[in-house]
Amino acid sequence: MDRNQITKWLKAPAKMANKYSLHAIYFCTGCGIIEVPPVITSRWDAERFGVIPVATPRQANLFLITGYVSVKTLRAIIRTYEQMYEPKYTVGFGSCPINGGMYWDSYNTIKHLDKYIPIDGWIAGCMPRPEAIFIAVTHLWTLIDKDMANGYIRYKENYKLYRRNQETVLGKLDWPPLYPIHDNVKAVENE
Amino acid sequence: MAGMVVKIIQIILSPILALITGVFFLGLARKIVARIHWRYGPPLIQPVIDIIRLFYQKSISHGGMFDLGIVLSLAGSIVVVLFLPFGQITPLSSSGGLLVILYIMLLAPLGIALSAGQGANPNISIGISRKLILSLGYEVPLLLVLLAVMTRYKTISIVQVVNIQQSTGWSLFSLPLFLSGLSYFLILPAILGIRPFDMASAPQEISSGPMAEYGGKYLALATIEHAFVLFISIALFVNLFLGGAANPVIFFVKMLVVFVFGLFIHAVFPRFRIEQAIKYLWKWPTLLAFVGLIITSFIRS
Repeated sequence: MDRNQITKWLKAPAKMANKYSLHAIYFCTGCGIIEVPPVITSRWDAERFGVIPVATPRQANLFLITGYVSVKTLRAIIRTYEQMYEPKYTVGFGSCPINGGMYWDSYNTIKHLDKYIPIDGWIAGCMPRPEAIFIAVTHLWTLIDKDMANGYIRYKENYKLYRRNQETVLGKLDWPPLYPIHDNVKAVENE
Repeated sequence: MAGMVVKIIQIILSPILALITGVFFLGLARKIVARIHWRYGPPLIQPVIDIIRLFYQKSISHGGMFDLGIVLSLAGSIVVVLFLPFGQITPLSSSGGLLVILYIMLLAPLGIALSAGQGANPNISIGISRKLILSLGYEVPLLLVLLAVMTRYKTISIVQVVNIQQSTGWSLFSLPLFLSGLSYFLILPAILGIRPFDMASAPQEISSGPMAEYGGKYLALATIEHAFVLFISIALFVNLFLGGAANPVIFFVKMLVVFVFGLFIHAVFPRFRIEQAIKYLWKWPTLLAFVGLIITSFIRS
C-alpha cells in the first residue's frame, strides 16, 4: 500500500475497501469463463489486487458476465444479480454481451445485456486476454473513485423499465419485484 | 484494588490481542499459501480490507436466530479466550479449567449452526451436517488427549499445567505425553477446518456450506469468529504441549510456528470426503491418543 493512500483511507474507508476487495461471483455464463482460471491462479495472480472468486452471490460484489448470454442463462443472471448485496458492480466480458458478437442473428441469444441488468463496464474482444480483466479492474477502481460505478443505483431508479424488458424476453417472472414498482399498482397486486 | 484494575485491563485486552493475532494469521495464511502456489499473494492486511468492506455493505437478515446465533458463537469464542492463558496474561484462567474450556468451545460451532440453519438453503444443511459429523470425529481424540494431560499433571487447571511445564520442560517431549501431543497436532486441521478437512465449507461443492447465506456484516462477524477459533485451538496446543510462555511475544512466536506447520499441510493436500475424514480421525489420532492415555495412567500408578 502506498503511503499517500492513507489519507484516502481515512477520508472514505468504504470506497477504498470496495476498491481493494472485489470478490467476484464465480458463475460460468459462457465460453469466456475459460479465461478466468488463469487469472486467479499462478500465471496472472488476481489475488494481488484483492480479486478472488467466491461461491455465493451473497458474499460477492463483482459480477463478471463472461461470454454469450442465452435466454435461459439470463434468468439465472438476473436472479444472481438481485441476490448480491449493494454496492455491487457488473462487468460484461467479451463482445457477445455488448452487441451479440458472433451470435448477432441467433434466435436464442440476448444481444444487448444492459437492457436487462445495468453494466458498469465492458471488456471488448473475442476472446479478451486475461490481462484485459486487470485493465477492467483498474478502470473499475477509477470509476468507483469518481462515483461513476453506479449500476446498482441506476437499477433501483429505473427498475420498472428493467423489469419490463426482462418480462418481454422471459415472459412472466416467477419471483417478486426487488424494488416496489410505484406507478404500476396493478402489476404489484398480481404478484 | 490494584489487582482488580489489572484484572479488568487484562479482561479487556486479551480478546483484542486474540483478535489481532487471529486476523494476522488469516492474512498470513493467504500469503503463505500464495507463495507455495508460486503466486505473489495479497497484501498482509487483505482480511482487514475485506472486513471493512463487508461492514459497509448492505445485508438482509433471515430471521431472529440468524442474528442471535452469530452473536452467540462470537460471545462463546470471546469467553473461551478469557479462560486461556496468553503468555502471562491470565484473566479468568485461575477460576476455570480444561473442563470449562471444553464446554464453552462447543458454543462456537453451535451458534454458527443455529444461525446458518435459519437461512434455509440446502447447501447450508449439507454444510452443517458435515460440520457436526466432523466435530464428532475430532471430539473423541481431543477428549482422550485432554484426559491424558489431566491424568499426567493431576490437575484440571490450565495455569498449573503451564506452570509445571515451565519448571520441568515441554510436555510434547516428555515420554508419556508425546503420543498425545502428536495426536492433537494430527486433529488440529480438523479443528481449524482447513484442508484436508474443509469439507464443511467447500466452496466448489456446496458453495461454502454454512457461509452460503452470509454476506455483509454477517460474513464479517463470521470471519472474526473464524479468527478467534484459529487463536483458540492453536493457543490450547501451545499451552498444553509447548509449555505456554513467560511473556506474550514468545507465546505468539510459538503459535506462529505451529500455525505455519498446519499451513504447509493446508497448501498441498486435497480435500477428504466426510466418511474418509471420519475413518482417518477415528483410526490414527484416536489410536495414538488412546495408547498415550494408557501409558500415562500406568506410569502414574
